[in-house]
Amino acid sequence: MALETLERARQEFLAALAEAGSDPAKVDAVRVRFAGRRSGLLRDLEEALKSLPRDEKPAYGKALNELKKLIEERLGAAQKAVEEAGARREVVDVTLPGRLPPIGAYHPVTLVRREIEEIFLRMGYSVADGPEAEDDWHNFEALNFPPDHPARDTQDTFFLEGGLLLRTHTSPVQIRSMETTPPPIRVIIPGRVYRCDSDLRHAPMFHQVEGLVVDEGITFGHLKATLEAFVHVLFDPGMGVRFRPSFFPFTEPSAEVDITCVFCRGKGCQVCTGSGWIEILGAGMVDPRVFSACGLDPSRYTGFAFGCGLDRVAMLKFGIPDLRMQFSGDERLLRQFEGMRR
Amino acid sequence: MRISLGWLITHLEGPLPAAEMAARLTAAGMNVELQEPSGDDVVWDVDVTTNRPDAMNHRGLAREAAAAGCGSLKPLVVKVPEGATPVGKLAKLTVEDESGCPRYCARVVRGVKVGPSPAWLAARLERCGIRPVNNIVDATNYVLLDIGHPLHAFDLPRLSGAEIRVRRARAGEGITTLDGVDRTLTPEDVVIADAKRAVAIAGIMGAANTEIGPATRDVLIESAYFAPVSVRRTAKRLGLSTEASQRFERGADRAMARTAVDLAAELIVRLAGGEVAAGVLDSAPSLPAPPTIEFSLRRLSAFAGCEIPREFVVNVLTALDLAPRVEGDTVTCTVPYHRVDLDLPEDLYEEVLRHFGYENVPSVLPSFAVSPGKRLGSWPLTERARDALVAVGAAEALTYTFSSAELERATAASPLGDRGAVVKVENPLSARLAVLRRSLLAGLVDAAGGNLRRGGARVLLGEVGRVFFARGSKVVEEDRLALALAGTAGPWDAVRDTDFLDLKGLVEDVLAQLGVESTEWRPSTAPLLAPGEGGEVVAAGRVVAIGGRLAEPVAEAFGLPAPLWVAEVDLGAAAADRVPSFRPLPRFPAVTADLTVRHNVSLSYAELAAAVRAAASEWLEAVFPVVRYRGEGVGTDEVKTTVRLVYRHPERSLTQDEVNAAHFALMDTLARTLAVSFQ
Repeated sequence: MALETLERARQEFLAALAEAGSDPAKVDAVRVRFAGRRSGLLRDLEEALKSLPRDEKPAYGKALNELKKLIEERLGAAQKAVEEAGARREVVDVTLPGRLPPIGAYHPVTLVRREIEEIFLRMGYSVADGPEAEDDWHNFEALNFPPDHPARDTQDTFFLEGGLLLRTHTSPVQIRSMETTPPPIRVIIPGRVYRCDSDLRHAPMFHQVEGLVVDEGITFGHLKATLEAFVHVLFDPGMGVRFRPSFFPFTEPSAEVDITCVFCRGKGCQVCTGSGWIEILGAGMVDPRVFSACGLDPSRYTGFAFGCGLDRVAMLKFGIPDLRMQFSGDERLLRQFEGMRR
Repeated sequence: MRISLGWLITHLEGPLPAAEMAARLTAAGMNVELQEPSGDDVVWDVDVTTNRPDAMNHRGLAREAAAAGCGSLKPLVVKVPEGATPVGKLAKLTVEDESGCPRYCARVVRGVKVGPSPAWLAARLERCGIRPVNNIVDATNYVLLDIGHPLHAFDLPRLSGAEIRVRRARAGEGITTLDGVDRTLTPEDVVIADAKRAVAIAGIMGAANTEIGPATRDVLIESAYFAPVSVRRTAKRLGLSTEASQRFERGADRAMARTAVDLAAELIVRLAGGEVAAGVLDSAPSLPAPPTIEFSLRRLSAFAGCEIPREFVVNVLTALDLAPRVEGDTVTCTVPYHRVDLDLPEDLYEEVLRHFGYENVPSVLPSFAVSPGKRLGSWPLTERARDALVAVGAAEALTYTFSSAELERATAASPLGDRGAVVKVENPLSARLAVLRRSLLAGLVDAAGGNLRRGGARVLLGEVGRVFFARGSKVVEEDRLALALAGTAGPWDAVRDTDFLDLKGLVEDVLAQLGVESTEWRPSTAPLLAPGEGGEVVAAGRVVAIGGRLAEPVAEAFGLPAPLWVAEVDLGAAAADRVPSFRPLPRFPAVTADLTVRHNVSLSYAELAAAVRAAASEWLEAVFPVVRYRGEGVGTDEVKTTVRLVYRHPERSLTQDEVNAAHFALMDTLARTLAVSFQ
């Protein structure tokens, strides 16, 4: 019984010392508690020896001595460690920077692309791709841009030697999807596109994401709801969304989609030229001529398509002022996105 | 398109206030982008889409405004005060090319007095961005902006033979246009000619030789309908885009050709006096029957996703001059000549829906059968590569697909870059963007150089993207990953210069993440890389990656700071993700022994390690380098390599004696088979 008391005291001491760590005040408190001259536990245990039956005294005494020795040794060591640390002020300066491995950074366009892909993957869309060096059929003619049509002027096209061109939008992959996949079709198509244009707001190369849904019974209301949901997830659920009629040769009817200006929250500022809205998407119902070009029956299927500029979304989301800055490979910009994931 | 509000409302009965009208037009697809006061008027900048040439004028926009409930369109009243002399006695018209010019109307006004236009008219033109010239030219421009039909006025006495011939240009035929430029025509081009020479390029611009001047007395007014494709081809080839050509190539109104010439004659007499000859020269007075479009009201509502009331449909289509006739569920519309964009039922759905208001169509998410989406094509591969790139610490760059021919050629000078010929851009923006890259390094070295020049201490850039090769008549696209490394490496308290092994480590890491196994590194002789400081990675007999220091001449030629370490990986080499399969954990301890080998630098580490593996006891589990030493104490072409050998027996503990014996046997064999010593 008495020996158990000693064992419990030993465990309590070790635990208390471990808890005190290298804090001088705590170490001293442990000393007072266990080895204090007036009220320490060791003193109490010595007192207890006196009242033990004679035959238990030798074993208890021996164990008590061992305990005393342990406590003295450990307290001495702990106090020495505390003193040494104090003398050197500190073992390590924990405020020095650690030895970091290099941290990578996804490009802001990759970040928004993946975020957009995730939104649509969750809605059951697949992510498709296609060639960047395209033919006239997929980039223009099948999309209802007849040869010599003025609508082609809006797509300042780079032509390649040998007859191909650099796709001016990701829409040719709509055609490729419809040519190869029977409906229902739900795809989004992110990718690089090219226009013969360069100034603060235009670069000869940029990135788009396009979406296409083809099935029986798809309505204009479906298009609206899908894009509203998209904008609300990508920005925030309070974002205003406005559909304005517009014109694209491959959709009928067509719309441009504005969202509440992310900079002024709709109050009107320089970025939105005072309107409170900024244009973010082009969209519409798939033109029946496009279905016919792809061998789909326009009397059976309807569908919608939409597209937006990924670089522009990145600029809006992250406040990047210049489109072309994103293609400079400037690590002062790129490394602001270190450690960000999508 | 600039629109004068004061002018616009002359076409409307009971117009709404300007702000309300702008909002309604924008909601209906005529985006009023800017409104600015100009004198006692307001000028709008309206974005009219390319499919709506009919709305590129004040009356056309007023028609849209009326359909949007902003008032009602006033009828167009034309009263031409004709004199007694028939026009046929004063001028002669022949259209030789009817496909290029389906309709040509002309009137003659004699005895005009050329002078400046009145202030009100000049002001309206100026508000719309057209410089006033004189009352005759201004009258034609006024009609253009008012009702949208392009016109041209000739000085009649200067037309040889008082004759208009619409024909194809002769090969090499010259003309000096009103802008003072000498132009050479081809038989593709349609011209207006007199008995001798061309006097205008059809639908684009007139010639100086018949220009209206201060002395002009008699005028011939042209109001034609030219075929869109013909005007567009000529305008494109000549690089000449005018108010007229923009409208003709989008599609003018063949019925309006006659009304416009009447309006112009009436206005000229008002502004400049004179007498209008009786009648009109008209090459095609009878018009083809207008097309009709039929659609179902039920399908319209199904398409929209909500019920569109029949009455609304009829009202809108009526306001748009589409003359709807309803029989049961079927609506039949007659398309007026000014609407060149309407052909299919869906075109009419759009007309109804944009006036119904897109905001009034309820939003309902489509319900799809459950099937998860996935990444298709090359996306799974390129995304994996992008993850690998970022995992090794690179900043992902997206650089131009284009490059200058010189930089492209230099960066493609490797076994990865010579897989085909370069693809040239036919109409590059500049010489710096002249060709498509065959190596991602074309853009990446430039970006790395920029970072160093801006004072970056360490550069680690990467890109995943496509490269392009011309192979025969095809363009082949391949997916690649590239890295550029420069400056310092190591933690802040042990900073050192980057070297080849830093780069190689990155490449090995990337290759491992891409599942590329069983690779062999060998020295590269690619001109892209500095001699003796580049390697190529071979897997299954094919070069799948290259890496090394950018060759000095390349760095110098393109002003790139040196040394720049570059690597490129062919993503086509990537394999499926490795699926780890459990190996039982070792049950007995390993014994390690180090071996320091002194050898000539010509013996590669790979050869040394292979010799060790071949000669060592079957208990050898692993061998790897721990120290590599050159310098004092070893010959100039010598190196000391310390390798650590790990021995382990699968079924029992090895004794130190056993390991020692094996180790000495190994040294014996190495000494015999390789020119090495151990000290």
